[in-house]
Amino acid sequence: MKKIAINIVSSAKIFAPTKIEDLDEKRLCPTMMTRRRLTRNSKVMLYLSDRCNFEGGKVVYGSCYSELEETAKIANSVLNGELLSPTSFQNSVYNTAPSYLSLITKNKDELITLSSGMTTSKAALKTAALQALISKQRVLCVCIECINIPNINQINRCTKYLEAGAAVVVEVAQDLSDAVEIEDFRTEGIIDSLQDIMSVVNMHENKKDKILIEL
Amino acid sequence: MKAYINNYELLCDAGDTKSLMEAIYANKSAISISEDFIKDAKAGLGIMQYDNIYSLLIDVTSKVLKQSNLDNFHNTLLILASSVGGMQECEDIFYAQGSYTNIDPNRYSMNALSDHLDNEFKFYDSRAISTACTSSANALLLAKRLIEVEAYDNILVVGADGLCNSTVLGFHSLGVLSNKQCTPFDKNRNGMNVAEAVSVLLVQNQKISNSIQIKGVGASSDAYHMTNPDPSATGAISSMQNAIDDAKLNIDDIDYINAHGTATIANDNVESLAVEKLFGSKTLVNSTKAITGHTLGAAGSVEAIISCEIIKAGVVPAQTGLQELENTNINVPTQNITMDIKNIISNSFAFGGNNTSIVLGVCE
Repeated sequence: MKKIAINIVSSAKIFAPTKIEDLDEKRLCPTMMTRRRLTRNSKVMLYLSDRCNFEGGKVVYGSCYSELEETAKIANSVLNGELLSPTSFQNSVYNTAPSYLSLITKNKDELITLSSGMTTSKAALKTAALQALISKQRVLCVCIECINIPNINQINRCTKYLEAGAAVVVEVAQDLSDAVEIEDFRTEGIIDSLQDIMSVVNMHENKKDKILIEL
Repeated sequence: MKAYINNYELLCDAGDTKSLMEAIYANKSAISISEDFIKDAKAGLGIMQYDNIYSLLIDVTSKVLKQSNLDNFHNTLLILASSVGGMQECEDIFYAQGSYTNIDPNRYSMNALSDHLDNEFKFYDSRAISTACTSSANALLLAKRLIEVEAYDNILVVGADGLCNSTVLGFHSLGVLSNKQCTPFDKNRNGMNVAEAVSVLLVQNQKISNSIQIKGVGASSDAYHMTNPDPSATGAISSMQNAIDDAKLNIDDIDYINAHGTATIANDNVESLAVEKLFGSKTLVNSTKAITGHTLGAAGSVEAIISCEIIKAGVVPAQTGLQELENTNINVPTQNITMDIKNIISNSFAFGGNNTSIVLGVCE
């Protein structure tokens, strides 16, 4: 059990009750054929990465439910005895969003995806810190939940924002001095799986940018 | 600190570790031909004998704890790797009721499995990884790095995936499922076998008498296509080279390559090319998915266990199912070969062009 300090180099967040508008998709993904295949998580990922001015390198992605829309399409196709869409299947895996980011930005570095329930963003931050420590480079950490699917009201009891995401670019700090633990700086109504990274983004916006992380 | 695999166990279509290795050395595929999942079509599937994935996780993990030098896992990090998590149970509820209402969101995702283990064994901390078919290879990658930076003394890596309608029918929709036992690297191969497994490895910073060392880990992204590998094989080459560099070894130090080898046309073409370009025609390479099928998120950990067993046995198995080798510039064994095996590289590749390679070997 080891703690290190990370500097938050840049951060971004975005959320909406139903659908996030204007994710600047045409600029971020100029190729129409690719853009048409992007999932909601992928579009939010591209947007947040751009807002963080991430220029390539290791990426850590966290999402508890990840590509819920594609998974729901597949489940409904099976239920109705319909043929499955190959695109829905390929887009249903949890690492879809960082894979599209890699494909569009031609980033050939490592991608790791975590899905640890309501502690997902804490696990993602720990992993991003490890990757920064190992590589001695800046690492992008992005956590997203897009759960705006038909009939989500049958199961959603935890969030009023059906699309939300937050991102930070981190680097390892030289020492532990003045580093602080992640504060409970929640954004009310956001799903718990994102609250740790939301807190870090909110801390960064309030000029607290040196964070202690237990690996 | 160095990372050692000290204890392990698994269950797959061929049974436990001992039964699996007997099947591998007897060149006997454990794939069965099923008509249960796809309407009017057959599929070769790797099916385990078990009641449910949750009790199986407890059973296999308990066996590893019993073998180990630990009394409990209270000082151990759990890294669980899966591509479907709790999907099996949720699919059953949804297909029976046509509604999400009675699905417990906490039992849908990857954490359904890690939370279940955590509730039973009370780990120090836990996290779950899901990078499709590289999930458990990436869990081993992170475990090696966490031990290296002295963050943990003990890490339990668990790879777990059960068969689901969505995965079997999904691969069928891509046209890559074989209707027979798969034949990796064969000229006439016709696709992969989806399979299921639970595999558990205890990674520690202390060496014991029969430890296998995780010497190097490497990963890369193709940045090419969501499902097709880069035909130039640069991503696969980069992943293997990064792992060998991390191990501070040379190409010639690798005695055997446990390939990803799914038996799809695309994967085996590209992986063969990567092996040819990086290793030439001398180093032995094969795919044990001819026995186990493709256990998806569990594949990296299943094949890490197989690699540990191959190092200990000193026998590289023949390629099961091979009739006519497609790429004749690589060295795929047609019979079991007894030899001194110091280092193995194990490959895992996934959707999104996600590549991970692990170098395992006798302890330095």
